[in-house]
Amino acid sequence: MQPASGTRRFVFPRWANYLLPAIVIVGAGAGLYIPVLLGLAGSPRTTDVGYAPVQPVAFSHATHAGRLGIDCAYCHNTVFEAAYAAIPPTQTCLNCHAAIQAEHSEILKVRESAVTGMPIEWVRVHNLPDHAYFDHSAHVNKGIGCVSCHGRIDRMEIVAQAEPLSMGWCLECHREPERFLRPVEEVTNMAWEPPDGDQLALGRRLKELYEIREPRYMSSCTRCHR
Amino acid sequence: MSPMTERPRDDYWLSLEHLARDPELCARIRDEFPGYDPAALAEMPRRRFLRLMGGAMALAGLTLSGCRRYPAERLAPHARRPEERVPGALERYATGFEIDGATTGLLVTTHDGRPIKIEGNPLHPDSLGATDGITQATVLDLYDPDRSRWPVEMTAAGERRRRGWDQFDHFAGAHFRALRALGGGGLAFLCGRSTSPTSLAMRARLREVFPRCRWYEHEPFDAAARIEGSRLAFGRALRPIYRLHRAAVIAAIDADLFGSHPAKLRHASEWAAARKPEAGRMNRLWSIESELSITGSVADHRLAQRPGRIEAIVQELARRLAVAGVTDAVPLDDRETRFVDRLAADLRVAGAASLITVGDAAAPRVHELAHRINAALGALGQTVEFVEEPAREAGTIAELAREIESRSVETLVILDGNPGFDAPADLGLAAHIGRVPTTIRLGLYDDETSALCTWHVPRAHFLESWSDGRAWDGAVSIGQPLILPLHDGRTDAELLAGLAGDATRSGYDLVRRTARDVIPHEEGDAAFERAWRRALHDGVVERTAWPRVEPELVGAARSTASEVAVAEGATGRLDVVFRRDPRLHDGRFANNAWLQETPDPMTKVTWDNPALLSVRDAGRLGVRTGDVVRVSVDDRSVELPVFVLPGQPEGVLGVRLGSGRAAAGRIGNGVGFDAYPLRTSATLAFAGNATVESTGRRYDLASTQDHHVMDTFARQATEKRVGPRGESGKVVREVTPADFGGDAGLGDGEASVPRADGHDRARIFDPPSQFNEPHAWGMTIDMSSCIGCNACVTACQAENNIPVVGKEEVARNREMHWIRIDRYFKGDPESDESPDVVHQPVMCVHCENAPCEQVCPVAATVHDTEGLNTMVYNRCIGTRYCANNCPYKVRRFNYFDYHSKEPGEPARPWAGMPDSQQLISVDEVKRMVFNPDVTVRMRGVMEKCTYCVQRIQRARIDRRRRGEEIRDGDIVTACQQVCPTQAIVFGDIGDPDSRVRALQESPRAYPVLEELGVRPRTLHLAKARNPAKVDFEP
Repeated sequence: MQPASGTRRFVFPRWANYLLPAIVIVGAGAGLYIPVLLGLAGSPRTTDVGYAPVQPVAFSHATHAGRLGIDCAYCHNTVFEAAYAAIPPTQTCLNCHAAIQAEHSEILKVRESAVTGMPIEWVRVHNLPDHAYFDHSAHVNKGIGCVSCHGRIDRMEIVAQAEPLSMGWCLECHREPERFLRPVEEVTNMAWEPPDGDQLALGRRLKELYEIREPRYMSSCTRCHR
Repeated sequence: MSPMTERPRDDYWLSLEHLARDPELCARIRDEFPGYDPAALAEMPRRRFLRLMGGAMALAGLTLSGCRRYPAERLAPHARRPEERVPGALERYATGFEIDGATTGLLVTTHDGRPIKIEGNPLHPDSLGATDGITQATVLDLYDPDRSRWPVEMTAAGERRRRGWDQFDHFAGAHFRALRALGGGGLAFLCGRSTSPTSLAMRARLREVFPRCRWYEHEPFDAAARIEGSRLAFGRALRPIYRLHRAAVIAAIDADLFGSHPAKLRHASEWAAARKPEAGRMNRLWSIESELSITGSVADHRLAQRPGRIEAIVQELARRLAVAGVTDAVPLDDRETRFVDRLAADLRVAGAASLITVGDAAAPRVHELAHRINAALGALGQTVEFVEEPAREAGTIAELAREIESRSVETLVILDGNPGFDAPADLGLAAHIGRVPTTIRLGLYDDETSALCTWHVPRAHFLESWSDGRAWDGAVSIGQPLILPLHDGRTDAELLAGLAGDATRSGYDLVRRTARDVIPHEEGDAAFERAWRRALHDGVVERTAWPRVEPELVGAARSTASEVAVAEGATGRLDVVFRRDPRLHDGRFANNAWLQETPDPMTKVTWDNPALLSVRDAGRLGVRTGDVVRVSVDDRSVELPVFVLPGQPEGVLGVRLGSGRAAAGRIGNGVGFDAYPLRTSATLAFAGNATVESTGRRYDLASTQDHHVMDTFARQATEKRVGPRGESGKVVREVTPADFGGDAGLGDGEASVPRADGHDRARIFDPPSQFNEPHAWGMTIDMSSCIGCNACVTACQAENNIPVVGKEEVARNREMHWIRIDRYFKGDPESDESPDVVHQPVMCVHCENAPCEQVCPVAATVHDTEGLNTMVYNRCIGTRYCANNCPYKVRRFNYFDYHSKEPGEPARPWAGMPDSQQLISVDEVKRMVFNPDVTVRMRGVMEKCTYCVQRIQRARIDRRRRGEEIRDGDIVTACQQVCPTQAIVFGDIGDPDSRVRALQESPRAYPVLEELGVRPRTLHLAKARNPAKVDFEP
């Protein structure tokens, strides 16, 4: 703006006068924006805690696992031997419901599936990111109870996600498994409590018994990511 | 210089340009984006770039894309789950794959009903647990969206219309009922070579229904000369079965034992088993060939010669070994004489432990002489066994062409094959097929042949079919389908049963019906059911191999000195040798992107089939790699780009057939050059007297031979530190005969090679960890066993969801293969002698002190406690610092979202920020091939060999949930599993009893680029050669 000759002194242009208030306004906005953003990132809305989609059949875990006390592994029978705890085939429902409440409107949907051979399309509730590889058998065989990740399924009319299933949440246990371990016989017991109330002492014993390795190993990337 | 005198002790080089320190190549290596025009980047002004990026970020923020739940997923359990089916668990089923009339037994891994990975069947005699690259890639063919999906009829007006199977069945029902009344007059079938019992039974059945029908067989690469040769020697058609592990000296005469022979996997395995210097066993392989095959590349002595000279050489060899009837000396040139002298002497010493093998392309007389030499040496029944060659009750394609010409074929049924593309050019078969009134083609693709036919109907892929077949030695295996036909295809047997009007039409029933006669079982249905189930389970049926016969020679060999004596050298004309493409077979796999992108074993060219020319011929013709030449034989000519290949015989233009397809599909169309027009029925193996002239045009070849070079610049720096090149800086190390025998030292004549300690002493810091909690994973790669067959490259691609990038991207160094096989040459390319070749597979060596980890700004590549250098894809921000800092050049970057790219379309450019990429769907059928245990990487992340971490985890969980510890041999990486020579061994190097530990302690084991002190977990085993003694005098 200055001619080439002369003092070449730099003078702020007039609009620079507005910079200071602008910075203040942006700063105040950021002060508001950043906490909101961080808050949102950790909120259950983001982590999907409480996600409870409507299922095609109004199956109640509260009735079956809770009131009737059917063991988890009766239906999810591959949980001890495979990565997936397998949604049971229609046939499993009909083991009982061929006779019990056979004319119930919801059971009719199940029977329809059995007759046509078309699967009941359940909506997935617990969904891990694609690059995390979770193996049920590796956990339940080492004394991690169903309830640790899935919550009190036996009290849920509609299954909802109970835990954030985030990496930080997984690592809580991978770093300190003794806080959550229980005897393998009790993994499907929703209401299990450590007998003498001392989870840590029992946990340490079980950790040794089940040969669960040190946190450095347990929190290596390759434990879960491939 | 003879091959027996001291070999030049200079360095290995990757290519002629590398040897000559070509400035263009040096610039390429220096460039960050080789082959990329910087002007293209400059078109985007900086300001516009920033504006776009800023806008994109703002939009990404607006949509709160990170805060959205994934799309809702549906879980569909079975209505009735099959017994013992565990959802999500991998299952393996035995099946078989027939090619060239021999079936290889396979174990196919399925995941929830989708076949995703093919392995060899360890029980099968032709597999022994390995497979080749083509078989690995067939799983991609299964999910190829370009496969034919419905019948097509050509109307009278010549239009091709989509039809349904019911319409075809309606037409065929009426048509073949009418034919039956005529006894099948005018009916002809054309099919490939097959030894499948069901196929042969169906053929017999069709002959019963249509007594006057005729059968013709066509394979572009036939074995007629081999069969004729055995008739000359034994008076009957016999099939030699080579037992390489019993041989001390093997001569391969134009025989690609490891590359194209139907029993190549067994050959490679047996050869490598008898090639362990540590165990004191080392066979010697001699090769005389008119190409540079992978077999020749691993030979201890190799003579590259024009195909017309081979008969003379073998005859002279026979004379030296006193084969009855061969009396006249044939004039040989100096090089040939020296070679024959040595070979004859070596064979004489080895006696019955010798083996002469001959390839199918050689003349019948060469086969005959080889049989007689083997007999003279006492090798019959020792290193070579014989079975009856299965009878071929079918005419040739030339006979079919004549029949069509004489108008005696009214209905032609073509089962598979692709004669419209690959038939000998002089037959004009394409025109002939068009003249037949009714033609029905059963094919996997709607291809060149289908376009000529009045009906095309889709064929079922072998993974969708019930089938059976015989191994090279006759052992029967049953092929079970792994999935229902995706596109409603039918098998050959199913189609034929329909044409015959039989009630039994399902593939299962047909195969089972033949199995009753083929599978040995006791009386009764229950006994058969047991035998059948066992056959399905094992994948191979015991006691079904053809009985071995002990042949007697008939007559005596003729001396035909006068015929073969004519030296063909120095006429200035070349011989054109036709060979199948090692990647695409005869062209039938041209639409397979994995195979197209696999580098050729010798030239490392992808997506093309250049003609191969020797260094001297290239000099004489004034052409260099990439020049287009016109090749003319008689009045036929084609234009081909040239690749100058060290080791290519002088006077021979090597032509690979199978590329240049016009109707292969979106991948294979127009890729490479079609050389079939040069090949006639008289010149199936080679055509002499060809003229080759430069057209003056250039053609871009995407060869990976100079990509990811490990030395050049890094080495200059290390030389300053560790001394002159050729010592510890050697990337390839060799052991020579002097070194093994007794306490094997190692290295180029030196007693031993400095091990890691020397460099370790200089270190300042203690290593952060031993990386051995609780296991220390490591690997060895034996360069003595590696034959460069590329099976591991494709297996890795299949296992690890590695994308294909296309020719243009390969030309920019962007191929994604986690394993590359560096093929090095040594020797003077201008000399007469064949250069030494080494195949060195290189993948991430999992350095304990990994240079890549130190430069990653976001810790996206870190070590786990067991020594795996892991890649955390979702942390990676794509700086590519790690790839720059990797001395082994094994890291691969996803420049584009290759998986969602459609062939023929440009790669997705700026559009599509990471979030929307999740929503870009990969084609439903295409994505079925993915291994669900491995993350599918997206654009912008780095990737590399993981030591098959998914297999480690699977094996570990399988053991640990039962309270056991992982054992040696539980974990087999994909590359290790597929390797026919077991060159790759993986395991726990902390376990003193593991196989890998024993190999890592071998004196041959060394870390590549040891001087860097990065402590790689993968060690290479030095290449052992076994040349004949230098001081020998005949």
